[in-house]
Amino acid sequence: MGRYLFLILGVIALALMMLSPWAVPMREFDGTGYLLNPLGIMNPKGLTLPEGLRFDWLGLFFGTWVSLLLAASVAVFLPNPETRARVLYILGGVGLALFALEAALFYQAITAVNDAALAAGARRPPLRRFALSLGAYAGLFYSLTLLLVARMQLPGGLAFLVGLRGVVVPVVSLLLAVVVGAVVVAILRPGLGTQGVEGLGLRELIAGKLDLVTYTFQILFSPILTLPGIFNSLAFATPLIFTGLAVAFGFRAGLFNIGAPGQLTIGALFAMLAGVYLPLPGWLLLPAAIVAAALGGALWGGIVGWLKARFGANEVINTIMMNYIAASVLLFMLAANEYSFFGNKVRLPFKAEGFEGRSEEIQEGGRIPLMINIFAPNSTFSWALPLAVVAALTVYYVTRRLELGKRLLAALVALVAGYVVGQVLPGIPVTISSALSSQLLNGSFLIAVLALLFYNFYLFRTAGGYELRATGLAPKAAEYAGVNLRRKIILTMIISGALAGLAATHYVLGAGMDGTYRLKTAIPSSVGFDGIAVALMGQNMPLGIFLSATLFGVLLAGGVSLNAQLGISNQIIQVLQALIILFIAVGGFLPRYFTDPLRAAQVETEAKAEQEARQAKSATVAGD
Amino acid sequence: MEIVIALFFSTLRQATPLLLTALGGLFSERSGVVNIALEGMILFGAAAAAITVNRIEVATGGLEAFWIPWVGLLVGAIVGGLVGLIHAIATIKYRADQIVSGTAINIAALGAPSIVLQVLYNNTSTSQEVKNRLPLISFGSGEVSILVLIAFLLVPVVWWVLFKTPWGLRLRAVGEHPQAAETMGVNVIRMRYTAVILSGMLAGIAGAYLSIGFLNQFIRAMSAGAGFIALAALIFGKWHPLGVLGATLLFGFAQALAIQLQGGDILPATIVQALPFILTMLVLAGFIGRSRPPAAVGKPYDK
Repeated sequence: MGRYLFLILGVIALALMMLSPWAVPMREFDGTGYLLNPLGIMNPKGLTLPEGLRFDWLGLFFGTWVSLLLAASVAVFLPNPETRARVLYILGGVGLALFALEAALFYQAITAVNDAALAAGARRPPLRRFALSLGAYAGLFYSLTLLLVARMQLPGGLAFLVGLRGVVVPVVSLLLAVVVGAVVVAILRPGLGTQGVEGLGLRELIAGKLDLVTYTFQILFSPILTLPGIFNSLAFATPLIFTGLAVAFGFRAGLFNIGAPGQLTIGALFAMLAGVYLPLPGWLLLPAAIVAAALGGALWGGIVGWLKARFGANEVINTIMMNYIAASVLLFMLAANEYSFFGNKVRLPFKAEGFEGRSEEIQEGGRIPLMINIFAPNSTFSWALPLAVVAALTVYYVTRRLELGKRLLAALVALVAGYVVGQVLPGIPVTISSALSSQLLNGSFLIAVLALLFYNFYLFRTAGGYELRATGLAPKAAEYAGVNLRRKIILTMIISGALAGLAATHYVLGAGMDGTYRLKTAIPSSVGFDGIAVALMGQNMPLGIFLSATLFGVLLAGGVSLNAQLGISNQIIQVLQALIILFIAVGGFLPRYFTDPLRAAQVETEAKAEQEARQAKSATVAGD
Repeated sequence: MEIVIALFFSTLRQATPLLLTALGGLFSERSGVVNIALEGMILFGAAAAAITVNRIEVATGGLEAFWIPWVGLLVGAIVGGLVGLIHAIATIKYRADQIVSGTAINIAALGAPSIVLQVLYNNTSTSQEVKNRLPLISFGSGEVSILVLIAFLLVPVVWWVLFKTPWGLRLRAVGEHPQAAETMGVNVIRMRYTAVILSGMLAGIAGAYLSIGFLNQFIRAMSAGAGFIALAALIFGKWHPLGVLGATLLFGFAQALAIQLQGGDILPATIVQALPFILTMLVLAGFIGRSRPPAAVGKPYDK
C-alpha cells in the first residue's frame, strides 16, 4: 500500500517536472512571465530575455531527475530493509544536491546578467521577479520525501514519525490547505498571461495555471526574503500571538473561546480611554494603558466564564454573542458624538472630529514606540535592550539551582545592569531605509513575547497551571482531586480574555493599524478568529503558537501584495486558515495513532519492545 | 395600530431565517452532531443563491421569469447541503471535534464568498443586485416572502417527522443512545450523515431567503449571527419544533423591535442592534438548567 502511494508520488513529481515551469527568469508586474521548462519554453506575451542568458542545462537536469525517479521507484522494492533505506538515503541526498545545483546555476546566471547591465549603466536591473518555480520545487519535495521514506524503512520508523506528531499533523494540514487553496485559485483565475492569447495548447494552459498557483504562493511567502518584509510580517503576527495565546489558554482548560474579537475590541476601548484621558505622568501612563487593555479583555471574557460557572451557559455561543455586543459598544462610543435617549440629547466626548469613526490621539506618554526606534534610536544601534535580555536570560539559566523567587530577583538585577551597561556602551551607527522605518512593528511585539513566556511559565511551571491542564484533560478527575472547577472556569476566561485584550496594545497604543495613535471603528477585530487557527496549528504550545502566528503574519503581509499584483483577494488567507483548522480537526487524514495519545503510546511502546528484542537477540548472537 | 401590524410582519420576516436554520439544526443535534457551522452554511447558501440568480440574469440578458429565483433557492440548498456534507465527513468519518470543524466552516464562509465575488464582480463585499426575487404573498396590509409561509408550515411537518414516523424515532434514538440504536439495527452513521446534510440544506435555504427573498443581493457576513441565535433558539426551545418556533418568534420579535426603534429617537441604533444578542445571552443563562440536550450530542460515534 505504502509503496504504491510512493509510486504515485513519483508519477506526480514527474508530471509536475514535465508540465510546470522550472524557473522564471523574468516577470512583468501583473505576473506574466517567461517560463522555462526542459520540454519547451512558454512565453505567451512574447517577453524578450537579454542576450547571453542560456538555460541549456535544464535538459540535462531533467534527464538526471527522471533516472533518479526511476531508481527510487525500483529501490522501494528491494528486499532487505537496511539496503533499501541506504539506497533511498543516497538518492534523497543526490536529489537535494541536484536542487541546490539548479538553484545556484539559475541565480548565478540571473545575477551575472543583472550586474552586467547595471555596470553598463542601466537604471534598473533588466530581470525582475525571477525565481525558481514548481518544476524545480517538485524535485526538492520529492527528495525530502525520499529521506523521510528512507527513515521509515529502518526499525522504529513509524514510532519516530508518531513521536513527532505535534509537528506532523500541523505540517500535513498546512500542505493539504496549500494544495486545496492552489486548486481554488487555479479554478477561479486564468493562467498568468494566458488571458486573451489565442491558440494555446493544452500543455501551455496547464503550465499557465501551474505558474499562476506557484507565483501566488511565492508572493504570499515573499515577505520572509527582505528585512522590511520580516518586520511587516512580525507586525501582522503580534496581535495573532496574543489572540492565539488567548484561544490556546482556553483550549488547555477545555474551553473554546471564540470571543477573542470582542475581548480585543473592549481591550482596545479600555486602552484608548486610559491612554487618552488618564492624567498620569508618562512613565506611569503607558503601563496603566497596557493594564487597561488586559482588564477590558478580562472583563469581557470573565462575564462569559461567570455565566458558564454560575448557570452552565455554553461559552461558545456566549462568546460569539459578546463579539456582536462588543462591536455595538465600539460603534456606540466612536461612530457619533450625539445620541438621543427617549428624546433627550446626550453628548459623548469620545469621537474625534471628522468623518471617520476614531478616537482622540493617545497622549505622548501612552504610546508604544516602533521597534526600530527601540533597537536603533536616532539611527544608532543601541546595545541596551539586547544586552539586558541576554544578561537576564543567562543569569536566570545559571541560577537554576536556586529557588524561583531568588532566580527572578537575580534575573531582574541582571536585566537592569545589562540595560545600564548597554546604554553606556557606544552604539553602532546604522542606516535605516525608509522601507524599514515605515513598518509598523512596535514594542507591542515585546509584550507578546512576554505573554508567551507567561503562558509557558503559568501552564507548565505552577500548580495553578497544572490544575488548569488537568481540568482540560479530565474535568471530573480534576474535581475529585480538589480543583474548584467553577473558579477555574472563571479564572481561565479572565486570563484568556486578558491575553486577547492585550492585542489592543499593538493596534491602539502602538499604532499598529495604520500608523496613527488612535482607536478606530475599523480595528480588525477578526484577528480574534485567526487566533483559533494559530492555537490549533501551534498545538497549544508556546513555541508552536509563536511559529504559527509568524507563519500567518507572513501570509497576511504577502496577501497585501497578492491583492495588488494578481488581483486575488487577500481573503484567500482566511480560507487557508479555515482549511488548516478543518484539516487539523480531522487529524490531517492521518491514521488515528497520530491524533489519539493512547494509540500513539501503543505504537511507541511496540517499537521500543521490538528494539529491545532486537538488542537481546544481537547480544545472544555476540555471546555465542 | 399600524405600528403593531408593521411589527408583526417584521417579526415574521426576521424570524424566518432563524426558524429555517433552527429546524435544520434540530435534525443535526437530535442525531447527536453539534452544528455550530449553521452560520457559515447560511452564508454559503446566500452567496450561492444570489450569484446563481445573477448569473442566470446575465446569461439570459436580464430575463425576469418565475423560475429563476427558485433555481437560486435550489442551488443555495444544494450548496448548504454540500457544506453540511463536509461537516458530516469531518465529524462523523474523521471524528473531528464538532465545534472546531464548525468554526472552520464559519471562518471559510467569511473568506470564500469574497474570493468568488472578486472574480465575478471585482468587489469583495457584495454581489450585484438581482431582479428576480422569491415571490411575495400579501396578507391584508402586509407582504411577506413565500418562504416565510413555507418556514412556518415546516414546523408541523418537522414535528410529525420527528415524533410520528419511524425515521424520526430512529433519529432521536441515534442522538440519545447510538449504541442501543445500532443494536436495534439502525444505521447510526447514515442517520447522522442524513441529518447533518439536511440541516445544511435548510440553512442554505435560510441563506437564500436572506439574499434573494429578504434583500436582493449577497452581502459579506449578512447573516449577522442568525446561525448562532438559531442554536440558542434550539436550547431555549428544548430541541422541540414547537419550542423552537416560540424561541425564534421571540428572537425575531427582538430584531423587529430593534429595527422599529432605530428609526425613532428612543434609543441609539448602535445600542438597539445589540439587544437581540443580549436577549440571547439572558435566555441562555435563564433556561439552560431546564433544557436537556440529546444525550449523545457532541460525541463522536465509535462502534
